[in-house]
Amino acid sequence: MKIRNLYIVGLLAGLLFTSCENYDNFDEPNAMLSGRVVYEGEAVGVRNNGARFELWQDGYELNKSIEVYIAQDGTYSASLFNGEYKMVRIAGAPWEAALQDTLVINVNGGTTYDVPVTPYFTIENASFENQGTTINTSFTVNQVVEETGLQSVNVYFGTKYLTDSNYNASVYHVDLETVTPGTANSIAIDVPENLSDREYVFMRIGVRSNSSNEYYYTPVEKIYL
Amino acid sequence: MKKLVISAALVIAFFTFSCNDEEWLERDPQNIISDEQLWNDPALINSLMANYYNRLPTLLGVFNTGGMTETDEAMWSGHWDSNWHNNFEYGDNYGSYWDYGFIRDINLALDNIDQYSTDISEEQKALYQSELRFIRAFVYFELVKRMGGVPLVTEQLIYDYSGDPSNLQIPRSKEYEVYDFIYDELEAIKGSLAANNASKTRANTYVALALESRAMLYAGSLAKYNNLMSASISLPGEEVGIPADMADGYYTKSLAASQEIINSGAYALYDLNPDKATNFYEMLIEKSSSEVIFAKDYELSLKTHSFTYENIPRTLSEDNEKQCMISPSLSLVESFEYLDGSEGTLQTMDSDGNYIVYDEIDDIFDNKDPRLAGTVLYGGSSFKGAPLSILAGVADWNEDTQSYDFLTSPNLGGNYETDAGGDGGLMTGFDGPKDNTQNVSNTGFYLRKFVSEGPGASIRGVLADNWWPWFRAGEIYLNATEAAYELGQEGIALEYINAVRERAGFEANSLTSLSNDIIRHERRVELAFEDHRYFDLKRWRVAHEIWNGDQNDDNAMVRGIYPYRIVRPGHPDNNKYIYRRIEPTRFMRARFFRFANYYSLIDQGILNNNPLLVKNPFH
Repeated sequence: MKIRNLYIVGLLAGLLFTSCENYDNFDEPNAMLSGRVVYEGEAVGVRNNGARFELWQDGYELNKSIEVYIAQDGTYSASLFNGEYKMVRIAGAPWEAALQDTLVINVNGGTTYDVPVTPYFTIENASFENQGTTINTSFTVNQVVEETGLQSVNVYFGTKYLTDSNYNASVYHVDLETVTPGTANSIAIDVPENLSDREYVFMRIGVRSNSSNEYYYTPVEKIYL
Repeated sequence: MKKLVISAALVIAFFTFSCNDEEWLERDPQNIISDEQLWNDPALINSLMANYYNRLPTLLGVFNTGGMTETDEAMWSGHWDSNWHNNFEYGDNYGSYWDYGFIRDINLALDNIDQYSTDISEEQKALYQSELRFIRAFVYFELVKRMGGVPLVTEQLIYDYSGDPSNLQIPRSKEYEVYDFIYDELEAIKGSLAANNASKTRANTYVALALESRAMLYAGSLAKYNNLMSASISLPGEEVGIPADMADGYYTKSLAASQEIINSGAYALYDLNPDKATNFYEMLIEKSSSEVIFAKDYELSLKTHSFTYENIPRTLSEDNEKQCMISPSLSLVESFEYLDGSEGTLQTMDSDGNYIVYDEIDDIFDNKDPRLAGTVLYGGSSFKGAPLSILAGVADWNEDTQSYDFLTSPNLGGNYETDAGGDGGLMTGFDGPKDNTQNVSNTGFYLRKFVSEGPGASIRGVLADNWWPWFRAGEIYLNATEAAYELGQEGIALEYINAVRERAGFEANSLTSLSNDIIRHERRVELAFEDHRYFDLKRWRVAHEIWNGDQNDDNAMVRGIYPYRIVRPGHPDNNKYIYRRIEPTRFMRARFFRFANYYSLIDQGILNNNPLLVKNPFH
């Protein structure tokens, strides 16, 4: 009796270990597409999970896009199967949508692909300099797309690395009358009261065109107070 | 053997002859109602119509407690499981709606009346058909305000099994074509709906006009404000985007429809109770109210709703489980102005930065627009004749620091007793507010509007039977105000808005000039929680500015204000009250409305089925 029980247990255990091996009918995605969003070779900063691309793959009866979100430093990645994908730069981003201008990407194993975009505005030469109670902020706004207007330029203070127009500790709204695209700006901004006794803050500058509700951001910088 | 043969022959003969009469086999099914039966029996048609009326779509209305906590009007304070209402972003598919099944049902019913109805009178047939067309126009309005121009399908689409479905694939109409369709339909049927004019739950002439008033106002403001955006939202085929020069035409139509309702005298701004706050509350509860034009009705034991169970203040709930799901927001409360017309900001601190001490807990709300007390409950309010127990905690004066220590009880209803002393008085009310807690107000406010005072209304098993007003006179007056103002007729506009404000409790002619901000503000306070806010901000194209996603923005975030009892024995301030602004812990993410939300996502499955459809902008 005991021996028979043992057989049964052994059999069941054997079933448990063998049975599932062949029945998972799909392999996991084995290729990784990654890269940056670039304009003139520079990564484009965005709001974390704000802007996105769509990936499409032809050859199936029904279409379904794969959403590719972009990290705040302008990098992205997607876990895919090998094959040919089409990337669409859709609207709702700080760059121009290119709905007709699909990028064809061949994914094979680890593939790196930098996605070129045309931001409405960019910010160059951003620098922050701690002066004690103020922070000297200088930057140059560049207009890239002709037919759009400047909506706002903001300087963000954050307590965390993820700092953007949604998540921040304080915002300084730059007076647009003082901003001329192509000319350097320099402003002394008071350290916000609620942050003044911190050891450091994270700062970045964002610019928004009136054609989009997403900002173009400079890289986040850690400024010691 | 012979006998057997004979009997067999007899049996066979019996079967052969008896089936001769084919009618004998024709039996009406006992469990299926045929089209002939249905469309010739008014009782059956009425019950079918009830089904269709019940399916009228809404986004955040019709006692949708969860939905009401998804704008800047309120936050979710119910079970933790649903805290996502406080921590979400409007997705591309937020508000997506594509109910062509319903459209098909209506089109089928319209055809069937024509085909099968023989026993009912022509007038009755015309009435039913007009009601169906009203419901269809209502559905198309819901479609166009969420999705932009949609395919206009006005007859059944029948597949011929040829393998080619292309004759069923209909492209999207232009946005203004859908609005024009709605207007033309309503104009065509409003006459024959007059037979229903005594009803408030079936479409009648004025209900059709009310939908016209709202839909044309939406079309007008879309035409105007979309084109005033720095980058207007449009598609090349005009499936989205109404030309600016059509605005005046739509506003004119809206104003005409509103005025026809107002001048008919069939409805009036409800003004029977001298207690203006209660008057405002009763307006939507009393089913004899002259205010309501069209409602979705409920009846005890037949059809009830759980809105009162879900939202009644904690101590007044008759159920063993308390819910308290909606906590109205401070920004809504502060948008109710003071009776002298000044801005509604609540005063917690004086100019020196000291707390303002109030003798009574509700003194901070003195001289507010009475509609505030008709819409929400706060410290000092009563409901069902019983006072609420609202108190966040005590403000114990600390002589050492010369400031208050703010202390709250771990339990609702706890008294202020500590080892060091405490005065033994109430510390935290049985109704809260309590931060970071479920099933109690987290902002300091409870909802009053739409919460029934009926006996047993908060018990599961009884529930509430107050109705949902789809259209009411107050909205029509404000529609008329907005349309007249946009058309440059400020005098008329003032007349209507002042009528609404006078009913609310302001003096006659309390406004002498108008602006967009004043009109929009008035809609916010008058129509709070009535499924207007989301769509109003959309059609004015300001949603992305107000719900900007900024975690520091008082409008995009839901905030609260808590009352504290001062403990300072021997001092004149002892047992008086101060108020503190707070940021509810459970509210985690600012409302964030993106350009992509102006028109909702058309699902990929729908696009796959019909290649003629174009995507909405930003998707």
